Amino acid sequence: MATDRRRAGGGRTSGASRLEVALQALPRGGIEWQAVTAGEVDAVVDYAHSNVILFPLARRAMRDGAAIAGTPAQPEGRVANSILAELSREDLGQMLAGLEVVHLRNGQLLHEEAMEFRYVYFPIDCVVCLSTAAEGQRRIKTGLVGYEGLVGMSLVFGVEASPVQASVLAEGAALRMGADRFVEELSRCRTLQNALHHYTHFELAEARHEIACMSFGRMEQRVASLLLMVSDRSRKQSLFLTQECMAATLHARRVSITLASASLRSRKLILYSRGTIRILHRRGLEALSCSCYRKWKDPRAA
Amino acid sequence: MKRRSAGTRAASAEPTTVVVLRLYVAGGAPNSLQAIANLESICAEYLKDGHRLEIVDVLEEPRRAMADGVLVTPSLTKISPVPVAQVIGNLSDRPRVLQALGIRSHGH
Repeated sequence: MATDRRRAGGGRTSGASRLEVALQALPRGGIEWQAVTAGEVDAVVDYAHSNVILFPLARRAMRDGAAIAGTPAQPEGRVANSILAELSREDLGQMLAGLEVVHLRNGQLLHEEAMEFRYVYFPIDCVVCLSTAAEGQRRIKTGLVGYEGLVGMSLVFGVEASPVQASVLAEGAALRMGADRFVEELSRCRTLQNALHHYTHFELAEARHEIACMSFGRMEQRVASLLLMVSDRSRKQSLFLTQECMAATLHARRVSITLASASLRSRKLILYSRGTIRILHRRGLEALSCSCYRKWKDPRAA
Repeated sequence: MKRRSAGTRAASAEPTTVVVLRLYVAGGAPNSLQAIANLESICAEYLKDGHRLEIVDVLEEPRRAMADGVLVTPSLTKISPVPVAQVIGNLSDRPRVLQALGIRSHGH
């Protein structure tokens, strides 16, 4: 990390070089320096210029979050999951006691089809793909869950085994709670029940539109919609999505995804390299996307 | 996450003691959000009403951060009861945070 910053410095009074100078002022080997090297620091206080310098990753995350959500980055003290954000402070405090922050990695399996839930997950900036076995080993995407929702919805209706497989499509953080504890909290908290019922309605409506989209949408439209949905739910403009993963998610041949992605790139809507896709022109992508995306653009608008 | 503690003894917080905490964050940056979620979880589980938490956004109040000697964020300071303690990072290492706050975990 330190090496990258030195490379970015360039000797000018740029943000990167100011960051480098501020970092050099930290006591070497001290707890602050150790936290920096562990990647647990967002910003350094620059005493020489009386300001605060954000690390590039933190700046990018805040900018992406603000640009995509259309609001300033998460307000102070709020939990960055929409279901939890609807709870009162008292209910949230009770819930948080049973939650732990986990970092979910690409491809990580959260629960298997027909297996009992061990945990539920409230995504913060990761995206989880729900899929159902179609034929043999082939699976088809039946839902995406991001910061607007919960992974483990069947428990809300008293079903202890998952009807779908849940795996991580875009890595990031989530809050995790044991399934037993979640059921207890659900029976206790009316606001949580209401928030999850509202979310269920949204999920069902979106799923119906996606079925229509699969039947009539062109591959280019479907790829555009998928990218926008993952971007919305993870609140990131850069997505780690391989074409293989997109093909599996959209139940399409990889060559079709390659052609559709190339078309989007030639229109300067996206850039991709080694599995990382960057959205360059969001409005252009929206104009091209399926009607199902445009209808359910805001995951909380249902 | 690293810890700095002015004391050598990690005593359990008395039920009647109000623990005063101040968490310095950088707006909605990822480690800051994690630190807030982790700390609220710890407070709800271990301190309940026996704590006072102030969250300071250094992007809005850089001079205050400087006056308080903050070098990086997220940064948690236990102001009282003494000994004063400081934890740097996203507070995901719960045992270390509990130790810094002078709280015995349920498992001990």
